Amino acid sequence: MTIDRRSFLKLSGASLAGAFLGTKQTTPVWAARAHNGVAMLYDATKCIGCRACQNACKEWNGNPPEPDSIGLHDAPRELSADTWTLIQLAKPEGSNEWAFLKRQCMHCLHPACVSACPVSALHQTEYGAVVYEPKRCIGCRYCMVACPFGIPKFEWDEPLPYIRKCTFCIDRLEEGLEPACSEACPVGALTFGKRDSLIAEAEARIRNNPGRYVNHIYGKEELGGTSMLYLSPIPFEKLGLPTLSPEPVTRLSEVVATYGTPSLALSVASFLGGVYYWFTKREKELQAKEAIGQEEREVES
Amino acid sequence: MNAVDKRKGALVKKGTLPVGYFVLVALAALGLVAGIVRLINGLGATTNLSDSYPWGLWIVYDVFFIPFSAGAFMISAITHIYNREEYHCLARPVILAGFLGYLFVVVVLLMDLGRWHRFYNVLIPWYWNPHSFMFEVSMCVTLYTGILVMEIAPAILERLNLKKLLGIIRPLTVLIAGAGIVLSSLHQSSLGSLFLLMPYKLHPLWWTPLLPLLFFTLAAISGLSMVIFVAILSFKAFGRRLKLGLLTDIARIVSIMLGIYLVLKIGDLLLAGEIGLVVSEGWISVLFLEEMIIGVVVPLILFSMRRVRESAYGLFWGAACVLVGLAVNRASVPLLALRASGGDVYFPHWIEFAVAVGSIAAGILMFVLAARFLPVFPEPKADAH
Repeated sequence: MTIDRRSFLKLSGASLAGAFLGTKQTTPVWAARAHNGVAMLYDATKCIGCRACQNACKEWNGNPPEPDSIGLHDAPRELSADTWTLIQLAKPEGSNEWAFLKRQCMHCLHPACVSACPVSALHQTEYGAVVYEPKRCIGCRYCMVACPFGIPKFEWDEPLPYIRKCTFCIDRLEEGLEPACSEACPVGALTFGKRDSLIAEAEARIRNNPGRYVNHIYGKEELGGTSMLYLSPIPFEKLGLPTLSPEPVTRLSEVVATYGTPSLALSVASFLGGVYYWFTKREKELQAKEAIGQEEREVES
Repeated sequence: MNAVDKRKGALVKKGTLPVGYFVLVALAALGLVAGIVRLINGLGATTNLSDSYPWGLWIVYDVFFIPFSAGAFMISAITHIYNREEYHCLARPVILAGFLGYLFVVVVLLMDLGRWHRFYNVLIPWYWNPHSFMFEVSMCVTLYTGILVMEIAPAILERLNLKKLLGIIRPLTVLIAGAGIVLSSLHQSSLGSLFLLMPYKLHPLWWTPLLPLLFFTLAAISGLSMVIFVAILSFKAFGRRLKLGLLTDIARIVSIMLGIYLVLKIGDLLLAGEIGLVVSEGWISVLFLEEMIIGVVVPLILFSMRRVRESAYGLFWGAACVLVGLAVNRASVPLLALRASGGDVYFPHWIEFAVAVGSIAAGILMFVLAARFLPVFPEPKADAH
């Protein structure tokens, strides 16, 4: 089904693009993005679920804990406005396998949220981090709906809420520090670095440890690539990550916005103009004929 | 209060049901109070929206009433561009209904903005994101509402006898109508384009690269059905005689467009190899079939029959079917058929209902008042042609 949809999408995308572009070669709007910014590799076989990353994140970003009913620990169940990263246990039903999954913003190379935001409140920095500019936000929540990973969260408790999500610790990156979560990891499950060297590292780990990993680096190609990269001992859909094609979700939408919108406006306008001109001309001709007819009749009488 | 009572008195004398009028005022007032409470207390406190369901009833309201109001641009295309003079008697009531539809879409949109006090950010050029269909949608709403104001202005100016202003606006009629049609086309299709970004979230029975085309086509169909719906209801309510033949012609166009829509929809599912989903998806399939049968197949059959097209009753029920189907479609795409990103469930808060229902009531109320006090309907003797 996915393949059918994808090939159909490609077909329609190609015909759409063909229709709008003709034979002219243009740089596609979705191509001009940084592909070697910073990235982070999460190795689920190394993670011990200690949640040091989670606490470091809260501490650095000044986010309050979300304790459970007993109040012993910070125990959020889902990502939220106050919890930007979360360790979840993935234990697929009817199987003895299990693994931890670290969730946070994936910092997509082609971020749907950035493409969606009407006021450019979300943007991609030169590092590859996807960050938010609060003063622009109008709170339409299109980014939340558009994100394939459901990452942007809203401050529902506030009268005038902001969107909140992982910033890749952009404030630390700018000072030459690594993100708080990867710095805090005591077992080396989180590695921070350049995206291409992390991909090489991940490939080496798969190669050198036969049987330890599923042979796939999640995030290398998904949606055209993400800055978060994952290695897992169990299939990724069982780990809790959605199965996604390498096609960026932003591509079709941005092509239609860039070429479709002006084409539609122009064609509707020229169609209306043409029709109006034709009808007005015909009416004038009819009136002229009538006038001539009348004159003739008058002459005859 | 006194003024309201006086106006009410005037209406009662002219034969409107006072009970209905009272109910509308009450609902509108409740909506107003609910809206103020929402603006002060914030979305979290006054709605059941959550991180799992960031969009809810109000988005459904907007994406339903925008195509409902498409009657305005369809009728202005027929009268001003195709020069079909005989449709002029329908133009004003329909454009008024379209304007009120848009006005309350703007109100509900504002309610739905978490940071409503910064709504003007979409108008700041250096904030614009031309890749965003939300940007296109907000531009179109703003500009087209302005166009609709100019389209209903003549009725108000005539009433106030402002001949000078009328003299300025009259020669621009065709230009205004043309700009309105272009903006509407963009607006209706961009509502569908909003969901192009979500192939993994919107159910494949609805997600397709054809979304903008399907949204536009359905808007044109719904707009024409709204013309039929509003014309029959309002001409009857205000005791004006209406030449049914005009609506018969419109119904025939609707039936052709419904056929095109059906072919597009089925063809798309066949091409994508997803036609099986029509029966295999449980309640989602039921939702889809409901939309297609009530909103497309039934009115297609009804409007294909001459007998139905030529009776006020048949026309009314055919148009009503289309609008119900539209409602199901517009509840499905942004809400029911959109995969939630968390485990919560969503059912609208009473404040969400109060604002939506209040907006509809206020719209009807303003339509009735405008129809009473402005030259909206043709004079009884004039509609004999």
